Formats: sequence, C-alpha cells, structure tokens
Amino acid sequence: MTEPALKPDAVQDALGDLGTVETVRWNRVKVSTKIEKVREAILRAQSLLACDHVVQISAVDNGKSFELIYHLTGPHRMVIALAIDIPRDKPEVPTTSDILPPAGIYERQIHDLLGIVFRGHPDLRRIILNEDWPANEFPLRKDWKMDPNKFYGGVPPEVK
Amino acid sequence: MGLSQRLVNWARIKSPWITLFNSGACNACDIEVIAALTPRFDVERFGILAQGSPRHADILIVTGPVTKKQAPRLRRIWEQMPEPKYVIAMGACGASGGVFRGLYHVVDGVENVIPVDVFVAGCPPRPDEIINAVVACLGLVKEDLAHGGKEWRQKKPTVIPRVETPPKEVTA
Ligand code: SF4
Repeated sequence: MTEPALKPDAVQDALGDLGTVETVRWNRVKVSTKIEKVREAILRAQSLLACDHVVQISAVDNGKSFELIYHLTGPHRMVIALAIDIPRDKPEVPTTSDILPPAGIYERQIHDLLGIVFRGHPDLRRIILNEDWPANEFPLRKDWKMDPNKFYGGVPPEVK
Repeated sequence: MGLSQRLVNWARIKSPWITLFNSGACNACDIEVIAALTPRFDVERFGILAQGSPRHADILIVTGPVTKKQAPRLRRIWEQMPEPKYVIAMGACGASGGVFRGLYHVVDGVENVIPVDVFVAGCPPRPDEIINAVVACLGLVKEDLAHGGKEWRQKKPTVIPRVETPPKEVTA
C-alpha cells in the first residue's frame, strides 16, 4: 500500500474552514460541508488540491434528508468526498456542471431518480427513466409508492 | 404449395437465423448466447446463424425483464422482423421478471410486450439449453407450416397476478 501523495493535512488546510474534515480510509477524506459552500469547496479542491477528476456524484435518501456526495480525485489518487445534506422540503442545490463538466450528467440522473433540483443546470431532462414517466414521481425516494391508478409508461396500453 | 415456397420452408427449417435483443438483462444471459456461438458449442454446425439485424432473422431471442424504456423498442424490433417470426424469451427474467419482478421500471416478462413461442428456464440458461430451445422452436416452425399458420395453437392470454409487497418502513 503506497502512501497517497496528498496528505490529509493538506485537505484540512485547503477545505478546513468550509466544513469538518475526517479521514475515512487511507486514501479517502470526507469533508462535510454546506449547500451554499459546495461550489467554493469544489473550486478550491480543483485549484489547491489538483482534483481534476470527478469519480461520481452519489445521492441517497436517508429518510430525513438527501445526502449528496461529490467524489473528486486527481493524479495523487486521493479521493476527496464533499458531502452535503439537503432538506427534503426544499431539495435545491446550485449546479456544478459549469465548473465540473462531467457532473452535468450525474445531476440529470439524480434529478431523475430523487428529484433534487440543480439550480442553473442547462438541461435537466430525463436520462434514466422512460420518456413517458409521470412528472413529480421519484422512485428512489424512500416514501415513494407506485400508484396503481397511474400509467408509468412502457408498454402501450392496448398490448397489456 | 409451390416449389419456391417449399424451398423456402426447407431452408427456413435447415438454417434458422437468430438475433439477440437485450431488453434490460443483467448481461449473463447475453454472454450465454454468445457462448453458444463459440467453437465449444458451435451452433453454426446446425445452420443456426446469429444475425445482426432483426430484418434478416427468423428467431428473436429476448433476454431480460424488459424495462419500461425498452418495451416500445422491443415492440418495434419485433414488428420489423419478417413473418414467420418466432420469439424465445430467455431466463427467469424473460419469463416473469425474475429477480427484477415488481420493480418500478420493468414490465415483468417479455410476453407482456410481444407474443413468445418458447421460454428457456434458468438464470442464466446454459448454452445447451439455448440450442435446445432453438431446436424446439424449429419443431414449432414445422408444425406451423403443416397447419398453415400460428393460429392453431393460440390460447387466451393468462395474466399472472402481480404480488404487491408493501415497501419497508424507513426508520431514520
Ligand atoms: S435470467 Fe438471470 S442471468 Fe438472465 S438476465 Fe435475468 S438475472 Fe440475468
């Protein structure tokens, strides 16, 4: 196991004032930050920590809120996870697709399945669900139930 | 029956052309179909040929539980195939949805979208079973030719009742 070139202290120096920094594993640092600070955190990770690559953006509904995590990495192979908590009643986050171009497609996916709105995203269309899926139904939310009276798309009704 | 028609029927039974369509399978079924084409199983010695385009194929092998997104596309592929066309639904998923049954994005089985002639059991079925299914399908082709169409074996569709399991309560 080689030591990553980026020390956790460097992350503490760069992002420490934006949230709590903890070392989860030898090559993974988690930074819990706030919705309004996440863009600043990504910009700093790009400029100060050489994070030029977004591994993925993960989102999960933990029952109380949505947890959104940006996993960033760079040539140093250290994964910086920027975690934010999004309230259920106002699931809105500023988009990061302008500073982190590959993020746009992850954001479309999260919007599709969990209904988190990425403010300022240029094109928040469906990507995973079928085109005739009803609006305002987000299947990965824990409180979502399939409504038997609704048509969720797929087979044309005359075949079924 | 004219000579040319007899010739076509003979050729159809001697060399069925198959095409594979993945309608949301986990890929294991597809790999087994590919394995059936490899030298170890070598279906080509039976004249079974994998064809890229559904327009040239006699038998459509569908894998997977058919996601809602794929369902209209599967329908269109099936409509593009020339008659007489036969459909083999592969695996537990193709028959009933398998492990994906009841999820929000699947329609639970190929027969909800297109008529199926042969089902292959297994998750995934072995290549031997796929070859067996194609051969069984050829038996059907022969009988259909003798009866002059598929109508003689058509039954009323049976709808499998869907078991609704309530989602687990989230304790946060
Ligand atoms: S039947 Fe099994 S192997 Fe085939 S697609 Fe379904 S889960 Fe995968």
